[in-house]
Amino acid sequence: MRLDWKVALALVLVAALIVGAVGYVLLAGEKKVLVLATTTSTYDSGLLDYILPVFEDDFDCEIDVIAVGSGAAMELGKNGDVDMLLVHSPSAETAFVNDGYGEERNAVMYNNFIVVGSASDPADANHSANVTIAFEKIYDNGTVGDCQFLSRGDNSGTHAKELTIWKNLGLNVSNFDDWYVETGLGMGDLLDMCEEEDATTPSYTLSDDATYYQRLSENLIPHVQIVYNYQETDSLLKNQYSVIVLNETRFPHINHTLATEFKDWMISQEGQDLIASYEMYGQQLFYPNAAGYTPSTSSLKSQTSAFGSEERSVAGVSIPVAAGLKVELPLRCDRW
Amino acid sequence: MVTTTGLELLDVTLLSLYVSGMATILGSAVGIPLGALIGLKEFGGKGAIKTITYTLYGFPPVLSGLFVYFLFSRSGPFGDFGILFTPTAMIIAETFLVIPLVTGITITSVVEVDKNIKETVRAMGASSRQSTLTVMREAWVGLLMACMVGFGRVIAEVGAAYLVGGNIDGKTRVLTTAIMLETRMGNFEWAMALGAVLLAVALCVFLFLRLLQEREML
Repeated sequence: MRLDWKVALALVLVAALIVGAVGYVLLAGEKKVLVLATTTSTYDSGLLDYILPVFEDDFDCEIDVIAVGSGAAMELGKNGDVDMLLVHSPSAETAFVNDGYGEERNAVMYNNFIVVGSASDPADANHSANVTIAFEKIYDNGTVGDCQFLSRGDNSGTHAKELTIWKNLGLNVSNFDDWYVETGLGMGDLLDMCEEEDATTPSYTLSDDATYYQRLSENLIPHVQIVYNYQETDSLLKNQYSVIVLNETRFPHINHTLATEFKDWMISQEGQDLIASYEMYGQQLFYPNAAGYTPSTSSLKSQTSAFGSEERSVAGVSIPVAAGLKVELPLRCDRW
Repeated sequence: MVTTTGLELLDVTLLSLYVSGMATILGSAVGIPLGALIGLKEFGGKGAIKTITYTLYGFPPVLSGLFVYFLFSRSGPFGDFGILFTPTAMIIAETFLVIPLVTGITITSVVEVDKNIKETVRAMGASSRQSTLTVMREAWVGLLMACMVGFGRVIAEVGAAYLVGGNIDGKTRVLTTAIMLETRMGNFEWAMALGAVLLAVALCVFLFLRLLQEREML
C-alpha cells in the first residue's frame, strides 16, 4: 500500500516520543519533591540556586521552584497547588494565614528598595534625609518639567511600596501630569527604560536592589545611579521576605513534613548564614533576619569585605543561571 | 562567565520537542478528522462553525494556559491527578492551541481537493467512503502543512507553557520559558542564543516535514 512507509514513519515518531517520555519520567526519579512558589526576585537574583542545592543534598530531596509575581504565588498557594511560599507582601501574607491557607509567617530575610535615576540628578534627591523627602523633591521638579518618574504601574510589591510613599506625602498619583509615567513593565525592563529615557529626560524610579545590581553588572544601565539608598532609620524601604507552609488541615495532599523541614532549615543558623553569604557584584543582596538569628562571625566577615575585595568578583560574575545552565557555585566551606 | 553543562541545554531542547511534538500529534489527531468532517459533509450552520474555527486561530495561549490551570489546579475539578506543573499539563494546554489551526487548514485543503476530484471519483463509481479516503490522500500535502503550522505555533509559545508548567529547572523548563527567564534576568545574549537554538530545532523539524511533502509531490 502506498501509505505504508508514511505510517511506519509516523509510528517510529510516536514511539520515539513515548520512549522519550518514559525515559524522562524514569530519570526524574523517586526523590521527595517540594514545590515552592516564590517571587521572581529571589529566583532571578540567583539566591535560590545558591542555597537550595545545600538543602537538597542534606535532605535527599528535590525542590521545584515556581518563580512568578507575588500575587500569582499567593494564588497558587490559595489553590493548594504548591507546598509553601517564599514571598514579600506582609499584609497579603497576614491575610493568607488568617484565612486559614497557611500555618504561620516566618520572617527569613529582607532586602532593600532604592530610588534610582539619572546621574545628573536634577531633583537633588541624592541629598535627602529620608525617602519621602526624596520623592517630594522629584515631585517638585517633575511638575515643572525638569524630570520624570517611571512607575511600574502593575500592582507589584514595588508598585505598592511606591504608592505608599506618594500617599504619605498626601499626593494622589491619578492627579499627576505627564511627568509621571505608568508603564506596566517588570522591574528589569523598567530600569532599561530608565536608561533609554535618560537620553532625553532625566528619569527616576523605585527599584529593588537585587534587580538593579543585576542590570548594572550586565552593563545595561550605565546612566542609572542610586540616588537614595535604604538607611536603618528609614524602615519604609525595607523589603521583608517570609516563608509560609501551607495549612495541612486544609490541603492534606501537600508535602507537609518536607515543607516544615525546609522552613526550619531556612530560619536555622545554617540557612541564615548561607543567605548572608550570598553576594552578587560584590554586594550582599539579602539580609537574614529570622527570629533569634544572630549573624555568625563568618557571615559578618563576608559583609564587611563586600566592598573592594578582589576575590568577590569570583562569586560576583558567575551568577547568570537558568535555562538549565548550571553555574559553578563558589566554594562554601569558608563559612565554617 | 557561565559554566554550562551542555547536557542541561539538551534537556531543555528535548523537552521543548517532546511537548510541542506530542501537542501537535494529539491536536492533529483531533483536528484532521474534525476538519475533514466539516469540510466534506454538508450540514446546517457550517459557515458559523468555520468562522468560529478561524476565530480560534487567534486564541491567546495564556488563556489556554489559564483554562488548563483551573482544570488541574488542586482546587479544580481534576486536581487529584496532580499533573499541574508537569509536561503533561503543558501538552494538554498546547493541544488546545493546535486543534483550531489544524482543523481550519484541513477544512481548506480538503475542500480544495474535493472540488477538483469529486466529479471524477464519483463518475468512476466510488462510494462516499472511498471518495473521502481519496480526497484525504490527495490532500496529504495540505494536512502536513496543517501539522507544521500547529507545531510552529506551540514550539514558539510561552504563555501557556509558563503558566501550567511553572518553568521548573530540569523539569518543565522549555526553550521559550528559558528565553523569557534569561530576558527577565537581563542576559539578553543568552536569550538570543537560546532563540537561535529554538530556530535550529524548528528548522530540523520543518526540513523533515518538507521532505515528506516533496516526496509526495513527485
